Amino acid sequence: MTYPEKLTELVEDFQSIDDRMERLEYVFDLASEVNELPTEEWSDSTRIHGCQSEAHVRVEIVDENVRLYSGADSKLVQGLMGILTIAIDGQPVEIARTLTPEFAVEMGILNSLSPSRSNGFRNMFDKVMSTLMEEE
Amino acid sequence: MSTSWVIELAVQDDFPILQRQVNGHRLIYLDNAATTQKPSIVIDAMNDYYTKHNANVHRAVHTLAGEATDGYEACRDALKTWFNAERCILTSGTTEAINLAAHAWGHAQLKGRPIVLTEMEHHSDIVPWQMLAEAFGNELRYVPVKSDLTLDMEAFEASIEGAGLVCVVHTSNVLGVRNPIEDIIRIAHDHGAKVLLDAAQGAPHCQINMAELGADMMALSAHKMCGPTGIGCLLVNEETFQEMQPFMGGGDMIETVTLEGSTYQTNEHRFEAGTPRIAEAIGWNAALTYLGTLDLEQQHERLLEIARHVAQELRSMDMTVYGRHDDDDSSVVSFLHPTLHSEDFAHLLDARGVAVRTGHHCAQPLLNRLGISGTVRASFYIYNTMQDAEEFLMHVRDILERFA
Repeated sequence: MTYPEKLTELVEDFQSIDDRMERLEYVFDLASEVNELPTEEWSDSTRIHGCQSEAHVRVEIVDENVRLYSGADSKLVQGLMGILTIAIDGQPVEIARTLTPEFAVEMGILNSLSPSRSNGFRNMFDKVMSTLMEEE
Repeated sequence: MSTSWVIELAVQDDFPILQRQVNGHRLIYLDNAATTQKPSIVIDAMNDYYTKHNANVHRAVHTLAGEATDGYEACRDALKTWFNAERCILTSGTTEAINLAAHAWGHAQLKGRPIVLTEMEHHSDIVPWQMLAEAFGNELRYVPVKSDLTLDMEAFEASIEGAGLVCVVHTSNVLGVRNPIEDIIRIAHDHGAKVLLDAAQGAPHCQINMAELGADMMALSAHKMCGPTGIGCLLVNEETFQEMQPFMGGGDMIETVTLEGSTYQTNEHRFEAGTPRIAEAIGWNAALTYLGTLDLEQQHERLLEIARHVAQELRSMDMTVYGRHDDDDSSVVSFLHPTLHSEDFAHLLDARGVAVRTGHHCAQPLLNRLGISGTVRASFYIYNTMQDAEEFLMHVRDILERFA
């Protein structure tokens, strides 16, 4: 599928990195991309289940566009949230809904992670998507 | 060349997996408290069994069945000798061994009496007793862990009155702390309680003499001492063995079966229903043979020296190390960085070929007591060298520089 421009660039960036350590380093750097969800707003309703760390996300729709607020106690998980933020934050809801986790596979990040972290990413993605679908 | 270096190199050569590269780096395997690697002698023994001797055990009269039976039973005999135990029931591992103790002994013998556990237990030595307590209404009494990471022995003595069983971990899988088992057994027996030892972590690091200790039951796994996964045992003294009732029914454990009812074997087979783990038993026996060629006491001292060095270096990097590394403790180093998440640490180490464990290590009550949700755990075993430790520390320093 065709991705929004920023996401396409990100996929290409990751595809150009062969070294596992550098890929992880890049994910760490992307932790700063999230719109921070303050820890005092973390709750059961924002919790991403299946993550081995504390990870939280809240989705808002503002003027038909997606706003994603997130945070985690693990910088690596927050980096994955940063990737999801680049992928859908600010996108029109209709476009965001068409996204699948395939972009993360194309980036090669899922196979750089343990199965539990990789499942955590999918759970994060599913939680965001199910919220978007509820808005329909 | 020092003697210990010669020992290290000789042992490393016996483990083919240590030759492999992981993510472009030499494998440094430091997840030994979870499972150990296997020497060629174990891999070859299991391959040889399936290549030349595979058959079901005990009943058939043909040659292969005889060879398989001999191989399987030789493991039991070797374990009895190694641990100086009267009875050895082969199970799938420590967890099944403790569940067997709960069902085969606990159901019939505890009769609602309290069970004393500790906060240091692995989940496999907590959950089976919680399930039993739920069914029979037993009170569970937990001995707290003190701030110096040892069991509160005063609390233990206060909790023993009226108890029917004490379940205690020989050596903690998180802290490496070796508990005062001798005192615990003496106090428990003085009060008429039996003792079950979870020796999953202790057995790989020291030669445990069950009869000398006076433990009533002892559970352990092969895979933590160079043997294959999928097999372990419950060692039992004769008195306790005679009190146990069959738990799982089926083939191999019976003497006769009629439509009206069945009678059961009187030896250990009584508790080994179904086709057992034959290749695994043969592999475990080979692992015992291998360990028997080493000076385990010397290995223990060598590994403890490595663990102490690593712990000291980690502390100098502002890490919190959860362990004391006393002379009898195991060579486990659990640690946490103030800001870098333990899972992140493990991912970054893995990218450099270093295998460590993270998370709660199946000991959530202990971590709750420590006020943390997980640690990074580096655990050393016979094939690990000081060079492994130095490379590990070098990677840790580099990770902290780049990511912390």
